[in-house]
Amino acid sequence: MQRAHFTIAILAIGSMSAVNAHADDAALHAEIDALRAEIAALKAEVRHIEEEHGTGNVTPASAPAPASVSSAPTPQTATAAATTLWGYGEMNYNHPTARAADAQADLRRAVIGFSHAFDDATHVYGELEWEHAVASAEDAGETEVEQLYVEHALAPDYGVRAGLMLVPLGLLNEHHEPTQYYGVERNFVETAIIPSTWREGGVAIYGNTDFGLSWNAGIGTGPDLGKWDPASDEGRQSPLGSIHQELQLARARDPSLFAALNWSAVPGLNVGGGAFTGKIGQGADFAGKDARLLLGELHARWQTGPFDFSALYARGTISDTQALNLTFSGEPTPVPKAFWGGYAQGAWRALAWNESNLSPFVRYEQFNTGAAYATQPLGLDTPALPTEKVWTAGINYYLNPNVVFKIDYQDFNRDDVALGYGNRFNLGLGYQF
Amino acid sequence: MHARWLIPIGVGAAQAAHVAHATQYMTVEQAQRAAFPQATTFEMTRADLHALALDAPAGWSPRIWQARNGNQLLGWFFADAVIGKSEAIDYALALDANGSVIALEVLQYRESHGSEVRLAPWRKQFVGKTIRDPVALNQDIKNISGATLSCRHLTEGVQRLLKLHAHALLTAPA
Repeated sequence: MQRAHFTIAILAIGSMSAVNAHADDAALHAEIDALRAEIAALKAEVRHIEEEHGTGNVTPASAPAPASVSSAPTPQTATAAATTLWGYGEMNYNHPTARAADAQADLRRAVIGFSHAFDDATHVYGELEWEHAVASAEDAGETEVEQLYVEHALAPDYGVRAGLMLVPLGLLNEHHEPTQYYGVERNFVETAIIPSTWREGGVAIYGNTDFGLSWNAGIGTGPDLGKWDPASDEGRQSPLGSIHQELQLARARDPSLFAALNWSAVPGLNVGGGAFTGKIGQGADFAGKDARLLLGELHARWQTGPFDFSALYARGTISDTQALNLTFSGEPTPVPKAFWGGYAQGAWRALAWNESNLSPFVRYEQFNTGAAYATQPLGLDTPALPTEKVWTAGINYYLNPNVVFKIDYQDFNRDDVALGYGNRFNLGLGYQF
Repeated sequence: MHARWLIPIGVGAAQAAHVAHATQYMTVEQAQRAAFPQATTFEMTRADLHALALDAPAGWSPRIWQARNGNQLLGWFFADAVIGKSEAIDYALALDANGSVIALEVLQYRESHGSEVRLAPWRKQFVGKTIRDPVALNQDIKNISGATLSCRHLTEGVQRLLKLHAHALLTAPA
């Protein structure tokens, strides 16, 4: 088909030179009209030839009507269905065993995603999300643009993206649909340490190589330490989650850098890692103006037969927080110097029938959102937080690959009512299309 | 003076060529030559797709060729497309005369997420598969983490073509 277009262009160019002979505009217009007709006729001819070529030696009666071809491998048809919609959603029920009065049911998120192909190489991707069912001035819900970026392929194996993009760290952040992970709730490490769904505005280049390495590197906005609220529990729940900006009038004095590598040359195996760094004072004149964030992670996932194993470790540091924390004296939540977490998980597709399967899983995680604090004078040191350890065991029941019912039980080594940590039983429903 | 008319046309043609090149790994002809280096002819053929209940998406219309060396049937070549996450993946499947997979090639991949399906080690899992194999993701075909939808849909596409071959082509007069 591409070749056909080329032929038309060349023919058109050839015919165009004949136009030179004409002097007055009316004649020129007439000539152009004639050319248009000629091109239309040529197009029809090309289409006819292709159809004939396609029908081969069988009678046309048995051939499917070309008009119904929606997924045929030609650039034209792909662009014809250029705009597509997708979505996902999840509803969760949490029941703390020791505090039944705190049991809660929530429409956690409903997401509509779209993509539009301007041409084969240029797309825009967007994701619009509603959290907690109702968003208004009086309600707790949120409406957000979770991703919105333009992507342009420069070659089959690399390209460029610009806009609001997911930070390519960990296993979950870029693949956060509820059908993609085990358990009702997302794991703690990729919520408290890597603040999924973490996104920043910027520009990135991406690509993959023949030997199985995928890479992604970019520059963009970063968190804003000026948003740290020492009186709130949020910084203890997720240090970066409490100061992320989500491209909402983001303070952008200091650009951040990120890079990620993933190796998947052995089918079923993925090993990778990523890092994110930037100054997070954002140029403001305050005690935390020199602070720099560095967050790194390593991960591995191995899917073999009915088994699915994964493990991840993430560690973050924030430098130059001593002076800032001094101004927070007496407040419950200073800025940590170090925070980390890791988990290991195993799942087993125990039963599979038709499109359905039952997959029990177990996950063990450890994490600490305040593993160390900057040293202070006069015995004002902040002690490190204790490390939280959580066992999660449950079952994902996939009605089909895109609809999942989940049930699990979580055992915490340490209760923390303010953060919602305490043994609990969870139910969930998720879908993706 | 009228030369300026030529410029947009030339630019348009160059742009179209660039855009296709930016997402295309291989042409149908290149994939045919790679799978059947001994072939002297590729003869396009048709199967009555409507007669088959293959659970195919609407508008499914793979292109089918017989690869021949003179009168000898070397195998079958299919050019088809499946949807990855939201865009079409063009791919080609080559079967030998007995219906066993010689090669699976990704011809054109338009989205960046999931493009790891083009990796040779993943595609090699299909070599030797026949209609008697499950050809199912997470069974005899391993997944690529982060490219699950592309892996699943491409695997389903291959399974569909194997059924098409077994039901409609094996018995077709050569």
